[in-house]
Parts: sequence; structure tokens; C-alpha cells
Amino acid sequence: MRSKRILVTLLCAVVGIALMSCASNKEPAAAAIKAAEDAFNAVKAEAVKYVPDKAKAVEDAITAAKGSFDKKDYDAALNAAKAIPEKVKELSAAAAAKKGELTKSWEEMSAGLPKMLDAVKSRLDILSKSKKLPAGLDKAKLEGAKSGYEAAVKMWDDAKAAFAGGSIADALAKANTVKDKTVEVMTTLGMQPPAAATATKG
Amino acid sequence: MADDEKLKGLGPDDKGKGTDAWDATQWHVVVKGDTLSKISKKYYGDPNLYMKIFEANKDILKNPDLIKVGQKLRIP
Repeated sequence: MRSKRILVTLLCAVVGIALMSCASNKEPAAAAIKAAEDAFNAVKAEAVKYVPDKAKAVEDAITAAKGSFDKKDYDAALNAAKAIPEKVKELSAAAAAKKGELTKSWEEMSAGLPKMLDAVKSRLDILSKSKKLPAGLDKAKLEGAKSGYEAAVKMWDDAKAAFAGGSIADALAKANTVKDKTVEVMTTLGMQPPAAATATKG
Repeated sequence: MADDEKLKGLGPDDKGKGTDAWDATQWHVVVKGDTLSKISKKYYGDPNLYMKIFEANKDILKNPDLIKVGQKLRIP
């Protein structure tokens, strides 16, 4: 009988210690989650813009840590939240790298595309004065080339506006459309597109 | 004489030899039989527009009737 009492007492003590230990991590877990959220919020805007998949993974990790906290599993919440700042650092680095890559592509295109457009305009101006058209080009094709050129110029203006507005990915997508359209027009006119324009799409 | 030279345009391999891969300048290398009129007809369909080519190449051409085999002409 006595030994049973001792056993029950010991069991209660173990459970009590376990509960106290768990509860003692409540504050650290809350602090770690807040630190993780603060770190993520500091880089969120750029991350969502340039590496959305990676940003979502970090956001999911924060949600999971919060879920554990809500279930009073403070140990799990603390462990999950403590790992997040490192993930945020990697996220920030990935976003910066992607931004740099897109900016470089944009700079190359913004230097190159106006040269293509100028060359096409020059040829269209001359062909508009021509009494006959060269082999392989008829009036319908010439009109199509003119329309294509005008569309490319408008799209290029849109791309520049997107870049000025901070949407580099959108600007680049539009610039690629301009490039493809201009290559098409050049080919129609019997012109040779520049090597960079026919290289692997960027 | 250039009048006896044959027309010949540039192939894809003749482009992009410069350092600027985005250079969209169009070129024609003069071959035997070429005249500016013939070149104009080839690219514009109209021989009478030869002065456009001459104007674009004034740095290397002094006379529209005098072009040399091997000269690399800009075709605007």
C-alpha cells in the first residue's frame, strides 16, 4: 500500500514536471514566433516578388509554428520558430540574387531592343518609299510588318513603364515579347536579327 | 569594275561578328557585279533608292558609282 502511494506520488511528480517544462517554453516560443514573423516581414515584399515559392515555404513554416503554439505544444513551436530566421536569411539572399539576375537581363535588353527597333523603322521608312518591293515581300506582308513594328514599340513603352514602376519581372516579360515580335518583323523584311535576339530566351 | 560584280547578301554566319551581340546593323559585302542600284533593288525592290545606301556609307564611299569588291556596306 505504501509503495503504491510512492509510485502514484512519483508519477504525479513526473507529469507535473513535464507539464511545467512544457509551459515554461510558452514565452520563449511566443518570442521566437514573433522574431520569425518580424524577420520575414522585413523581406516579404521583395521575396514574394522575386522568389514566391520560397517565400511561401517560409510563410508555411511560420504558420506551422503558430499551429503548434495554439495546440499548446510549446516545445514544437519553439523548435519550429527557432529555425525560421535562418530560412529568412536564405530567402533574402535568394530574392536579391533573382533581382540581380532579372535586372541584368533587363539592362541588356534595354540596351539592345532600341537598336533592333531603330533598324526596323529605318527599313520600313525606305520600303514605304519603294515603288516595288524586294523578292519575298509583298504589300500585305509589308503592312503586317508595319503593324508588328507599331505593336512592338507600344509594348516596349509598356515594358519601360513596368520597370519604372518596380515590376522588373513584368518588364522583362514584356521586353521578351518585344524581342520576339521584332525578330518576326525583321525576318519578314528579309533582315538578319542580331545574334543576341535569336539566342536562348532569357 | 563594280558593275560586273555579282549580288550577294550576308548569311547568318556573317552577322554578329562584332562585340555587340545586339547590333542590328544590316550589312552587305560587295561582290563582283554589284552596283548600289543592284544592291538597292535586292534589299528595297527599287534600284532608284540606291542613294539611301550611299548616304549610310559616306564614311567609306566617296562616289555612288565606285564601290569595291569586299567592301562591307551598311544597308539601312
